[in-house]
Amino acid sequence: MSGSQAVSGATTSRTEPDVSSAAASSGASVGQPRRRSARHIGSGRAIVVLAACALALVAIVAASLALGVRSIDPGVVWQAVIGPDPANADHNVVWQLRVPRTVIGLLAGVALGLAGTLIQGVTRNPIADPGLLGLNSGASLAVVLCIAVLGVSSPLGYIWFAFGGAAAAAAIVFSIGRGQPVRLALVGAAVTAFITPLIALVLIRDPETFNQYRFWAVGSLTGRGLDVAAVLWPFILVGAVVAFVLANRLNLIALGDDVANSLGQRVGTTRAIAGIALVLLCGTATALAGPIALVGLVVPHAARRLVGTDYRWIMPTALLLGPIMLLAADVIGRLIVPNAELEAGVVAAFLGAPVLIAIARSRTVAGL
Amino acid sequence: MTTTTDPVTRPARDVEAVRLVVASVRHRNRRRLVVTLAVGAALGLAFALIAISSGAASVSPDRVLATLFGQGDRTEQLVVFKLRLPRILAAVFVGAAFGLAGAVFQAVLRNPLASPDILGVSTGASLGAVWAILGLGLAGVVVSGFALAGALLVALIIWAAAWRQGLHGIRFVLVGVGLAYVCGSLIAWLLARAEVRQAQAALLWTVGSVSDVRGDALTMLIIGVVIGCLLTAVFAHGLPVLALGDDHAASLGVRTDVRRGILLLVAVLLIAIATSVAGPVAFVALIAPAIARRLVDDGSAALTASVMTGAVLTLGADVIGQFALPEFTAPVGIVTGLIGAPYMLWLLARTERKSRA
Repeated sequence: MSGSQAVSGATTSRTEPDVSSAAASSGASVGQPRRRSARHIGSGRAIVVLAACALALVAIVAASLALGVRSIDPGVVWQAVIGPDPANADHNVVWQLRVPRTVIGLLAGVALGLAGTLIQGVTRNPIADPGLLGLNSGASLAVVLCIAVLGVSSPLGYIWFAFGGAAAAAAIVFSIGRGQPVRLALVGAAVTAFITPLIALVLIRDPETFNQYRFWAVGSLTGRGLDVAAVLWPFILVGAVVAFVLANRLNLIALGDDVANSLGQRVGTTRAIAGIALVLLCGTATALAGPIALVGLVVPHAARRLVGTDYRWIMPTALLLGPIMLLAADVIGRLIVPNAELEAGVVAAFLGAPVLIAIARSRTVAGL
Repeated sequence: MTTTTDPVTRPARDVEAVRLVVASVRHRNRRRLVVTLAVGAALGLAFALIAISSGAASVSPDRVLATLFGQGDRTEQLVVFKLRLPRILAAVFVGAAFGLAGAVFQAVLRNPLASPDILGVSTGASLGAVWAILGLGLAGVVVSGFALAGALLVALIIWAAAWRQGLHGIRFVLVGVGLAYVCGSLIAWLLARAEVRQAQAALLWTVGSVSDVRGDALTMLIIGVVIGCLLTAVFAHGLPVLALGDDHAASLGVRTDVRRGILLLVAVLLIAIATSVAGPVAFVALIAPAIARRLVDDGSAALTASVMTGAVLTLGADVIGQFALPEFTAPVGIVTGLIGAPYMLWLLARTERKSRA
């Protein structure tokens, strides 16, 4: 009895289309204790979680300012933050290197976390992610073409092309892979696989473009200044506001399109609005930090585990968890290799892959 | 009382009729397979003729024949035997390996989309090669060794991570997609770190090209592919039964896990060998079996036909890549990628409609 309850609770929260086969294939895992569905988690706990996340974010921002290849005393870092002295080399390192990458990590992390939550909510798809669904590769192709053909060389110039590329890829992927999670991921992989040789075709012929592109493609928080962040933050703000406004509608969509429709929801409209917010958020994140995969995948799952299935709580949690994960990846990348740095995108992929594997091993996806 | 004999004779007659139908269907299928293979071989020969006679120094077809029989002058011999023939052989055998491995993957995992490109095996090979070129400064056959190791390692990790009370096709694919991202991000990191000229050489490797396969690498490729084909032929007897699903196959007495394991291992080895010499030639393993199944159309895994379509496809793509653009030769992997990905999208769009109906 308790087993079947747990199963029904878990399935309504994600509304997998094929409940019977999911249940049938999970004969062996019914015995596993599953946490009771998160909708029972009260707002009290959610507030505690949010406060803890906020504290963690402050800590990781502090770590991002204080840690790096050049070891600087925390007291000096604090002095640099409150009263910078242009003559002090340590202060300059903090202001010219660490503050920009921390700000960019914050913005890109917020954008990726919210984008992942939106994309998973609106497609009811546990494995949706801007990287897996090919949006990043669309943005990449657009950036390559704009470097190679138009000779744009500043990250400020990339932005609009990254937006356009992400939007085009999103349109293709959603129109072909609509609905089914695994199919969406495969369409994303196919779009990526089509775009990769196109990018290679340009790059093999044009060493100069390759030289610029490769530093962008690795996914890094360095190399962009605060000027780029100053231009891009309004897009993230708009995207974030839309995401928060849509949170309650996502709760209804989670019940299934039919239920949402019968409750007076315009599911198509919600999807379209969410799509625009998604392109804003993904395009900005990609323009800021390059194609970073798997952050958008992991954050919503972690948020759901912490605060339950109510998107009104998931959204703020994802807002905090996104930058926590991205900045943590960046800080780890600074420390893990002696006297060198591993870019945030690489570390994030390593943090995210085990989560994807865990999801793949879980019952819900295997039952599809 | 005459009706009493009927129940005895009628089943006998029915069995005889069924046997005739089966025999005629088998005959038709066999003829279709033979015709398919013959047409494929003719097409392959045509491509080979184009590839061997055109290029910077063009050799007329009759001179090609003369050279092949030892009548050519020194330049012709150099061009034909040292430059063009190895490239053609490489394309044919790489294509055959990808075609066969793809067919086995798709039959064993019962998923028309299972291919080393999606599963991350190719990306693993690329990572091994890029690391060897950029991280360790190696070149030549050693790079192939690293690519081989990369492909096998990724296959092993996928296997270990996707195994949970048997091998579920979709789980396999998802784990592979995740690993492809990890390998991809490491490749991007290695490329960003290296000196630009070297990085570009490594980038070229990740695209997949048959232009530089000769000598020892070519010999290794041919031997490996022949052995792989033979092993697959030996173990493929249960394949049509496997395609019915684990339960059916088990109830028919086929030991599914062992069979699947061996077949997949051979397929991974084929992919690893082909990738290690030529790089990950995109999508041949996905499209070749699909085309082959369509041509043969008898509900089987179409292994023999897949070998042929893979070889012809790769050779044709290489010819297109060499001569389609006037002043630029595209590596074969770019051509197959640009053909293959739209095909895969079309396949996805179609299966969706079917599953909805």
